[in-house]
Amino acid sequence: PSHHAPSLSPRLDGIQHGMNNMNIGGQPPHQGQQMQQRPQLNQLYPTDLLNAPLNVAELDLPPPPIILPPNSSVTPSPHANCPPKHVRSTLNAVPTTHSLLKKSRLPFALVIQPYSSLHDDEDPVPVVPDQVIARCRRCRSYINPFATFLDQGHRWRCNMCNLTNDVPQAFDWDAATQKQLDRWARPELNYSVVEFIAPQEYMVRPPQPLVYLFLFDVSYASVTSGLLATGARCILESLDRIPNADRRTRLGFLAVDSSLHYFAIPRDDSEVGETSMLVVSDLDEPFLPTPADLLVTLTECRENIETFLGKLQEMFQNTQNGGSCMGSALRAGHKLISPVGGKLTVLTASLPNMGHGKLDMREDKKILGTSKEGSLLQTGNSFYKSFAVECSKNQVSIDMFLFSSQYQDVASLSNLPRYTGGQTYFYPGWNAARSEDAIKFAREFSDYLSAEIGLEAVLRVRATTGLRMNTFYGNFFNRSSDLCAFPAFPRDQSYVVEVAIDESLNKGVICLQSAVLHTTCNGERRIRVMTLALPTTQSLADMYASADQAAIATFYSHKAVERALGSGLEPARDALQSKLVELLQTYRKELAGGNMGGGGLQFPANLRCLPVLFLGLIKNIALRKSAQIPSDMRSAALCQLSTLPLPLLMQFIYPKMYSLHDMPDDAGLADEQSGEIGMPPPINLSSACLVPYGLYLIDDGQTQFLWVGRDAVPQLLDDVFGLPDKSQLKVGKQTVPVLENDFNERVRAVIERSRDHRGKGVGSIIVPHLYVVREDGEPGMRLWATTLLVEDRADQGVSLKQWLGMMGEKVAQ
Amino acid sequence: MEHETLKEQWSEVEDRDGIRLSWNTFPSSRMEANRLVVPIGALYTPLKEKPDTPLLQYEPLTCKQPCRAVLNPFATVDTRAKLWICPFCLSRNTLPSHYKDITQDAIPPELHPQSTTIEYRLARPAPSPPIFLYVVDTCQEEDSLKALKDSLVMSLSLLPPAALVGLITYGTMAQVHELGYGECAKSYVFRGSKDYAAKQVQEMLGLTSSGGRPNVPQQPGRTPASMGPAARFLLPVQQCEFHLTNALEQLQRDPWPVANDKRSLRCTGVALSVAIGLMETSFLNAGGRIMLFAGGPATEGPGLVVGPELREPIRSHHDIDRDNIKYYKKALKFYDNLAKRTAHNGHIVDIFAGCLDQVGLLEMKGLPNSTGGHMILTDSFTSSQFRQSFVRVFDKDTNDNLIMGFNASLEVLTTKELKITGLIGHAVSLNKKSGSVGETECGIGNTCSWKMCGIDPTASFGVYFEIASQGAPSQHQQGPQKGMLQFLTYYQHSSGQFHLRVTTVARNLSGPTGDPAIAQSFDQEAAAVLMSRIAVFRAEVDDGPDVLRWVDRMLIRLCSRFAEYRKDDPSSFRLEKNFTLYPQFMFHLRRSQFLQVFNNSPDETAFYRHVLNHEYVGDSLVMIQPTLDSYTFEQDGGVPVLLDSASIQPTHILLLDTFFQILIFHGETMAEWRKAGYQEQEGYENFKAILDQPREDARELVQDRFPLPRFIICDANGSQARFLLSKLNPSTTHTTSTYGGTSRSAQTIFTDDVSLQTFMDHLMKLAVSGTS
Ligand SMILES: [Zn+2]
Ligand SMILES: [Zn+2]
Repeated sequence: PSHHAPSLSPRLDGIQHGMNNMNIGGQPPHQGQQMQQRPQLNQLYPTDLLNAPLNVAELDLPPPPIILPPNSSVTPSPHANCPPKHVRSTLNAVPTTHSLLKKSRLPFALVIQPYSSLHDDEDPVPVVPDQVIARCRRCRSYINPFATFLDQGHRWRCNMCNLTNDVPQAFDWDAATQKQLDRWARPELNYSVVEFIAPQEYMVRPPQPLVYLFLFDVSYASVTSGLLATGARCILESLDRIPNADRRTRLGFLAVDSSLHYFAIPRDDSEVGETSMLVVSDLDEPFLPTPADLLVTLTECRENIETFLGKLQEMFQNTQNGGSCMGSALRAGHKLISPVGGKLTVLTASLPNMGHGKLDMREDKKILGTSKEGSLLQTGNSFYKSFAVECSKNQVSIDMFLFSSQYQDVASLSNLPRYTGGQTYFYPGWNAARSEDAIKFAREFSDYLSAEIGLEAVLRVRATTGLRMNTFYGNFFNRSSDLCAFPAFPRDQSYVVEVAIDESLNKGVICLQSAVLHTTCNGERRIRVMTLALPTTQSLADMYASADQAAIATFYSHKAVERALGSGLEPARDALQSKLVELLQTYRKELAGGNMGGGGLQFPANLRCLPVLFLGLIKNIALRKSAQIPSDMRSAALCQLSTLPLPLLMQFIYPKMYSLHDMPDDAGLADEQSGEIGMPPPINLSSACLVPYGLYLIDDGQTQFLWVGRDAVPQLLDDVFGLPDKSQLKVGKQTVPVLENDFNERVRAVIERSRDHRGKGVGSIIVPHLYVVREDGEPGMRLWATTLLVEDRADQGVSLKQWLGMMGEKVAQ
Repeated sequence: MEHETLKEQWSEVEDRDGIRLSWNTFPSSRMEANRLVVPIGALYTPLKEKPDTPLLQYEPLTCKQPCRAVLNPFATVDTRAKLWICPFCLSRNTLPSHYKDITQDAIPPELHPQSTTIEYRLARPAPSPPIFLYVVDTCQEEDSLKALKDSLVMSLSLLPPAALVGLITYGTMAQVHELGYGECAKSYVFRGSKDYAAKQVQEMLGLTSSGGRPNVPQQPGRTPASMGPAARFLLPVQQCEFHLTNALEQLQRDPWPVANDKRSLRCTGVALSVAIGLMETSFLNAGGRIMLFAGGPATEGPGLVVGPELREPIRSHHDIDRDNIKYYKKALKFYDNLAKRTAHNGHIVDIFAGCLDQVGLLEMKGLPNSTGGHMILTDSFTSSQFRQSFVRVFDKDTNDNLIMGFNASLEVLTTKELKITGLIGHAVSLNKKSGSVGETECGIGNTCSWKMCGIDPTASFGVYFEIASQGAPSQHQQGPQKGMLQFLTYYQHSSGQFHLRVTTVARNLSGPTGDPAIAQSFDQEAAAVLMSRIAVFRAEVDDGPDVLRWVDRMLIRLCSRFAEYRKDDPSSFRLEKNFTLYPQFMFHLRRSQFLQVFNNSPDETAFYRHVLNHEYVGDSLVMIQPTLDSYTFEQDGGVPVLLDSASIQPTHILLLDTFFQILIFHGETMAEWRKAGYQEQEGYENFKAILDQPREDARELVQDRFPLPRFIICDANGSQARFLLSKLNPSTTHTTSTYGGTSRSAQTIFTDDVSLQTFMDHLMKLAVSGTS
């Protein structure tokens, strides 16, 4: 359910102080003084990591509350401060000095997730429609609930830099109704998360239409795997889902093997009825074979596009071509769409083996698991970074859908999305002949096409004087010190910004304002503004008591990716371990009085999950010590570690496991009130929690395993799979059959609910594969599933118990 | 022998053998030969139509190596010993067993005295049906492009059903249409600005079998696998007619925008190089034509002849003269290289220009010149001149075979007295050395064999000879000694087999020094045409004035040598009948567009010279000295009159035929009457008849003419009359005072606008002075 009122209609609290507001511009009803008295911040609750076992439910707890002095905001709105689903701070009590921050060893960073759904109507934010945007003259912050009014409301004081600014003329005037407006009802004073409709000045050029250029791999590998057919059909069937409210959306298609195949699609009303294919094999400097009809307006060419997509598979069905000049194709695509900007959507099952950005098969099984492995995670050809930067400059964003059954060099290819606000979607060994593969991709791709991406976006984070945005993490191009550029702004990613304290903070409350200036896919220029207010503190205890373990884990996930790409996997793992030791040591030394507390390992209750999250990170497929993990799998996982929205990232690090055979009565059934499917309680990722006769769902958000215990009773198998005995149960990728029994329905409902992104407050297209695993079945599959049991001891990884033991020893030293 | 009798004889020989010789008696010594001034030469039309000659359906008998002469009527056959003696090398060759029944009365056709020219149909089949690759310029006005599309679509019905056909279009870029692709219109696009190497073109079209290139599996029943991957682009017309018609009809103007001050970007060079590359890979030495339809000059990429800026004019003869040429040399080199490749590959390049302005024929001329292609220069593709000339290309014989040969080569054998100095015509050297190859070089020399790729029944070649230095006539033969030539023309007949045409020529060798038979044997018409070819050949490399001086010098020397006169007495100058027209021919030649280039564009010059180098004696003479007929009430039908301004009379209608133009000129009175519309009135039927007569005669002239000439009807004092005036001898306008005196050199005294009379006067004066 939405936390926000979706519209700007007068609300109860507006009416509440309506009487006081007859005198426009007067003092707000309850504006208090900034530094009244410090409120009591979160209490420190020490616990013992070694002796109190981890309760996985703690992972789902909200972060420590942000406790602000009363009347900190200009309106009494309950939405004045930023909710955690949009911005989370690692510290919900900010140290006033750099030295205190340093002493704490805690990071100060924001995890920013501007969008929590793929579509606006699934989670709308209030919109300021009148184009009256009050901004600070000096620091350019947007007016927000933490600003103050002065001078009978004619002026306002910036809560970031303290400058006094004039209130804009039309601030209290409704141009539409030609009437005075209730200032206190203005969304930007009531909501920390609002969207402004930007006037002309916010545009370098008129809003551009949404553009998708699809780059289809049409080589032998792609055609025979069914990628081309599935991709074309999926676009065909999703044409109505592609955002096109302004009827300006444009599509283009480029087929790629050893040549570039352009398609000139005439308008539906044109005399030239036929789409023509223009083949360019000159890869030196790709050029456009014709000036028109390569990028066409969906509305005007709908019929011809449909006909074309219907035929695309046939056009290449007999191919024997093993070449892929995808780098050249990207350059050509860039040339085609760069005047407008937009998305290059790449669907490929091949390693680009010719033309620009040619890549080599550089994976060598022998170096997996060694220190040389790190080089495989680095870019194989400088083209991929330099070209991506060029794309960013021209408002071109790239998404990679990768399908190779062999080495595809995800490490290099993923640079393209990385610097252009795009995403890498990896489908190893995909084949349309397996319906699970076809359905997964089709659903994901269709959702992808439907997402209301923003265009020509920039993200900037402003903060109270004394704070500085130090480092940004995520998929974008860092254009200047504090400005991140996104040719297209995705709705399924989050970003991390590390904040530095340059000057002592003398306020009780500081603010951090993230703003995403973008063009909606309907051609509207907007600014999504998220203002987070945090209390300050001079106490280390306050800091630790208000630290957000999930945000901290997210920050270190990005740091680990950076380290893995820069120095290698071992250093990345080591750094995580040292950081954890450092935090535990600091806590012990500074806050637990330095004593061992009877051999335990002390840590605040709100950070209890941090050690297991770090262990989960170290054991994640992206970072795990192993000689068995293909580098493409690692690279794809690294992409996820650095882009997943926080709730999905947590699940990716520490997967959810549910016991199904004994789930509570309400699990798997819709709640009578909310209609939501009830879930069984998550259980610890430890084989000790598995009973041999049980049925479990293990779900890391990307992959789901349905674990069937070796002693599973026939009735269970019959109910769930409709099979008389276990010997007939096939393992591997599949779908739970739809059977006429209550338990089957509930199991399916739980699986489905586990995949539900809206419930998690995130936008995502991922539809996890479901693998059936038999405890006594195919060992490879079982081993794979058990790698998700983070608390277990595995091949080259320690168990949680050993891990905590090791920590305890190191802290004691 | 009487001159008229000789003329008849030569004409019979021309009919039978397609050959005219400048000298019909060969001098027997080199010294004598050197004094002839006009070289011994033959204008030979290898495929001259001979509907009555039987086509031999067996392989020819040839003399042993290295001679290889083909058995001919001049061979001595010993029917009893079953052997024949080769007249070229005097070797004895045994007759094969299947000739065993030969008797004096039953000889095979090739030995028949009338069989000096005979044709064999060889067992060797053509590697593929004939290929037609259309290369179409899309930078054209709508109406022009439409007309061209219509002509091209129509032409498909003229092609043999099995003929392979392909389409390349070009503008800013070049597109090769994959006609064999069924799913949608598909073409391969090449950047117009880039010079693609042959190998690149082939790779980019996926014509090389290796390297993961497109390799569409063979669809059964489509095209023979032997044609390889190019079968995607060149398909039997019966199979792709629908697809190709569709592609042609869908052709749009080049879509790239053109600014007002710019020319369209037109990558003619890339289009040609791609076309040549396509044919080269899969159809090496298979007969085929690359037919270029150019609507304007190349302005982009390799081979560009003018920049895209409109303010920059295309080069003129003056620019070339002043070396003010930005692109010329580079373009020439580019197209010459292509020409060399194409000729080597055995393919033909035709150029059809449909443009008021130049399209760069000057630069591209090497392509048709080296490959036996056509060059057709018209103002627009909408003109009937284009349409009809284009249709004519696909003329068929009575057996419904296209009247065109492919992959032709010509080899010339000589008896030891004669040596070959070279060939002038549309061919390239095959660099074949033999005992017949002479020491000096005239035209394309140092070989006894040439390749022409394309050949048709009017294609004529000037072949030049010299007398061997040591070649004393052999004594053991009886009767007058003979010098002999044998012309062997191999070519791919459009019926699908290779043919060999053999023409054997024997002429008496002159007797002792000063034999008057030599002078009597002078064929002034053939000589004039052979000399014109040399002059034009020289003009391609030498400066204009140098060539004119050479023509003059040769004429004076010829007259000095063969005229009767008393030294230094011009009034005593007399020429034998078979020499009298020769000076006139030379007079007109030096005034003609072939040598006086400044009144024409370089493209026109290239075009005129191309045609001259293709035609046989009769038509060539019309080009050199146009014919003029006059029509009046006083006589019935047209009467030939002097090509002289004096022939313009108010009550005459003139019909001028310059080969390239047919012009009807109404004298002043005739024009007035015509304007007044008398011809429509009763009682003026004879005026109507006299107006119609030249038109009918013109129609007659045009009948077999290729390319179709330009048809002009004009009146006295009308602006179009200038075309007539430029061809007439300016006898009524010249003033002798402006002539001469400026130069003392005997070779440079002729100025451009002298009358024939003045010209002759000075010729006589110089000839009798003996200064040369
Ligand atoms: Zn400010
Ligand atoms: Zn012989």
